[in-house]
Amino acid sequence: MRGLFLASACVCILAVGTISAFLFANGLPFFAKYSAWDFITGTEWAPLRNVFGILPMIVGSFYVTFGALLLGAPIGILTAILMARFASKPVVKVMKPAVALLAGIPSVVYGFFGLMLLVPFVRKAFGGTGKSVLVASVLLAIMILPTIIQTSEAAINAVPGSYYEGSLALGATHESSVFRSVVPAARPGIISGIVLGLGRAIGETMAIIMVAGNNPRMPFDILKGVRTLTVNVLMEMGYAADVHRESLIATGVVLFIIVMAINFLFSFINRRRVLQ
Amino acid sequence: MKIRRILALVLALTAITGAALAAFDASKTIAVVSREEGSGTRGAFIELTGVQAKNAEGKDQDYTYAEADFVNGTSLVITTVASDPAAIGYASLSSVVVNDSVKSVKVNGVEASTENILNNTYPIARPFNIVTKGEATDELAKDFIAFIMSKQGQEEVANDGLVPVANDAPEYKPAGLKGTLVVGGSTSVAPVMELLGEAYSALNPEVEVDVQSTGSSAGVTGALDGTYMIGMASRALKDSEVEAGALGLAIGIDGIAVIVSPENPTEDLTLEQVRQIFVGEVTTWAELSK
Repeated sequence: MRGLFLASACVCILAVGTISAFLFANGLPFFAKYSAWDFITGTEWAPLRNVFGILPMIVGSFYVTFGALLLGAPIGILTAILMARFASKPVVKVMKPAVALLAGIPSVVYGFFGLMLLVPFVRKAFGGTGKSVLVASVLLAIMILPTIIQTSEAAINAVPGSYYEGSLALGATHESSVFRSVVPAARPGIISGIVLGLGRAIGETMAIIMVAGNNPRMPFDILKGVRTLTVNVLMEMGYAADVHRESLIATGVVLFIIVMAINFLFSFINRRRVLQ
Repeated sequence: MKIRRILALVLALTAITGAALAAFDASKTIAVVSREEGSGTRGAFIELTGVQAKNAEGKDQDYTYAEADFVNGTSLVITTVASDPAAIGYASLSSVVVNDSVKSVKVNGVEASTENILNNTYPIARPFNIVTKGEATDELAKDFIAFIMSKQGQEEVANDGLVPVANDAPEYKPAGLKGTLVVGGSTSVAPVMELLGEAYSALNPEVEVDVQSTGSSAGVTGALDGTYMIGMASRALKDSEVEAGALGLAIGIDGIAVIVSPENPTEDLTLEQVRQIFVGEVTTWAELSK
């Protein structure tokens, strides 16, 4: 039985190890031909002329992810609080499967929904082509909702009942007991929900490629197109050859490092809080 | 009563959106839809329309409008253009003729059709040529060329989205040859050549077709100096190449249609207008009709 557990764990570690090895083995040779500094800080992307600058995509990835969190995190957390402490049993019974369903919708379906409904809506309301940072952020916000809701709800439900009862006993109302006592106690869990959502948002590709316009230039205008790191890889992999192909794998390396850095930063912050 | 009121509201809304759809707003910004960098269709389009031009250093540069909507696939170009009345895009002709959701515009007054591509009047088209030094003498090369020009070969050409050059081509019968056939040249022709090679090998199991993509000029040079038994070029042969003995044969024609939404009243654009739109010099439909 122990062997089985060990084998299962090994599959997981092996997968992570192989992916990292593949990514770095295929991506690093690119930096021998092209300066890593120019790659990360360059603002022009013209692979057929051997100009590879992915700063617009790095900024783009953070831009849409930040937008998604700005919209998705408050909605998600408030929904989780509602489900854990305010809603009646029948309402929760409907909401739980609904949220789970939202998590199960394939990203290409989200993309199609965005392309057919959100993009024309933004086009009519604000002009332009509609494919924009705004639509990408809204779509991502919807996509990360289930992650944030489920994790936050679990965290809130895990807070010992004594916190809430103690607060009530001191004369606080139901609302202030929940918001001043229970939710702060659940904060680490809520933050990990947000970080998981952030991870999903920064890695999302299929839905974004359909609604973001994918312009490889610095994104500033919220109503104009943007290209993220993930989109850059998916978009051009089909026809890329030689250095162009290597540059796309190198884009993957940069994304990988960014995600790793976020994870480490998060666990570092969490550990410090525990120590305090 | 309430239901009736809601119903009336819904009807009114539908009427308003319907009216909005019917009237084409020419003051709208043109939504340029382009393929991604590296796509063969984009490569051909920018070359034939002049979107690709020499930069200050004398190198070819792709000047596609930076605010264009970049999508990675013919079907996505068509979906995007179909859903936005102000959009314009391009796609290979074969994928457009079977699709009613978009309208292809005339270029320089010539309709994008198979006939006009075959009679050389439609400007955004280029022949895919195979090149040999004089008439092919090698048995294997001759048989492979016979296959390409046969009914089965031209079907493969059509499957790849090209306009076939021969309509009533004869049926190909395998000659049972063996050996390796080296074909090289244009990177644009290489994909269809791979398809042809696979189909040929399926009929002649003892023949291996080795397709090398090096570029049109290298394809012609290779055919002349004997590196390739058959060269590939995605352009017409130059006079100097013909003088050196190169013989080109079109196996199919790559035609690119410029497409807009059916709601867009634009019927005809000049090649120069197409270029202006795709480099971003003209950004509204109203500016164009001046």
